[in-house]
Amino acid sequence: MHPAPSIILFTILSGFGFGVIAWVGVLQYFLLISSLEVIAFSILGVFFAVIGLISSTFHLANKINAIKSFSQWRSSWLSREAVASIVSLLLVFINIIIIYFGKNTVSLVGIIASLFSIITVFTTSMIYAQLRSVPAWNTILTPFIFIVGALVGAAILLRPDYALYGLVVLFVIQFLFWLYRDQTEKNMKTNISTALGFTEESPIRSFDKAHTNQNYLLNEMVFKVGRKHSRRLRYLSILFSIFIPITIMVLLRFDTYVAGAIVSVIHLLGMYFSRWLFFAEASHAVSFYYDKS
Amino acid sequence: MTDLPKCEDKKLGLLIDLDICVGCHACVVSCKEWNSSGDTKQLSDVNAHQKEPVGTFLNHVHSFEKENKENNESEPFYFPKSCLHCEDAPCVTVCPTGASYKRSEDGIVLVNEEDCMGCGLCAWACPYGARELDLLSGVMKKCTLCVDRIYDHGLPEEDRVPACVKSCPTGARSFGDFNDPNSKVSKIAKERKGVDLMPEMKTKPVNKYLLPKIKSNFDKEFNTEENADLNVSGFLSWVDKALDKL
Repeated sequence: MHPAPSIILFTILSGFGFGVIAWVGVLQYFLLISSLEVIAFSILGVFFAVIGLISSTFHLANKINAIKSFSQWRSSWLSREAVASIVSLLLVFINIIIIYFGKNTVSLVGIIASLFSIITVFTTSMIYAQLRSVPAWNTILTPFIFIVGALVGAAILLRPDYALYGLVVLFVIQFLFWLYRDQTEKNMKTNISTALGFTEESPIRSFDKAHTNQNYLLNEMVFKVGRKHSRRLRYLSILFSIFIPITIMVLLRFDTYVAGAIVSVIHLLGMYFSRWLFFAEASHAVSFYYDKS
Repeated sequence: MTDLPKCEDKKLGLLIDLDICVGCHACVVSCKEWNSSGDTKQLSDVNAHQKEPVGTFLNHVHSFEKENKENNESEPFYFPKSCLHCEDAPCVTVCPTGASYKRSEDGIVLVNEEDCMGCGLCAWACPYGARELDLLSGVMKKCTLCVDRIYDHGLPEEDRVPACVKSCPTGARSFGDFNDPNSKVSKIAKERKGVDLMPEMKTKPVNKYLLPKIKSNFDKEFNTEENADLNVSGFLSWVDKALDKL
């Protein structure tokens, strides 16, 4: 699949933003952070979530109809994501107002906002996980990697002590996801024979493509560039998203937000590689019509 | 709502015979022509007359060769591919704006361009690559089964079929109702074991394909070696012997 930078940035940044919102709600409920911190980090979370949502509109070819994407929540995960993200953002605003006017109040709104922000990340992941046409994504590991990724990224900033465990969990899920991806690609149920309706498997080769040049299908779904560096990018991704953050945390044992922010940035860079591979390494069933090699 | 209809009165679709198709691309061209003119909007081309032309098409013809295990020769066949109007169409339910829908009256899957925001998720959801985003108008394009032809009473009855069916010079494409067991397409599909593409995707395509027949024994019988013994009798046998002696 084509790794569009707008979609990669959207999933990473909005994931981080909603992760921050989720943590703020929980920490606030258990009175682990001050009112000022609640307000500051809520705004930070909203900022990243909104930046992500805006960057997601960059890949729309007909932006004028974007407002209509709120209408099909009954059947479409993309529509559910739009609705859930707006609900979470509204809840955060209500929570900020409550905290601002009544300091140190236990606000249930915050924890509901947490819940909705996790639901939002879940709906984002289901946009990909629902696609039977992309077998590498069509797994429960996809929601896990999105949700855990979002929560861990935000935890590095807000609660480095929890983030340490989170990074280990993220490492395991990331490893399982790549394992699953490699196995699925190796043992695809779909092949050139099933794509053409044959039941027996005899060698079939494409000797002339259907068009003489690139087209939308090839650009979007038969992405091949960069798979060559897949291994190296996996190592880089793990290095930046997991190992460097863990090393810094264990060695420095920091508890300032500035240090947390720096480590978060390193972590998100690693997540960018991971998300790039998530797209670039997933093959779409249509590629069999183009002699997938 | 972009739910799938509970039941369809008709299941209109195409029956494509790969044994007959000669890969002439007439269906591709007539499809593009019909769907770019008249009441329909553009199927745009970018750089049409320059170095790297890119265009939107609703129908493609791929060319394949299949190895024949009996004589180790490859047999070419041509494979036209357009929307299969699946019963369980994944492209419909993923649509966030409600632009994608499947009609309950005839099962045709359509895009309402007024609602499409061009996110491309339906094209991702389709395992067959049947949908293409139009590069200029920014909305999703797909085969409509020429919905603006097949119901047009202004046209003579024999023209009320999709453009690709009408233009096929070999008759490799037939159009009809697969819900009606007595329709021509249902009967041929049953008799000649019409198949689904990628049945493992569980999309339940309406369009059916007839696979190319095996042409194996013909080559064995037709021995063109110079000194081969001709299996002939009577007058031809005499000619054979007489020529051998020359």
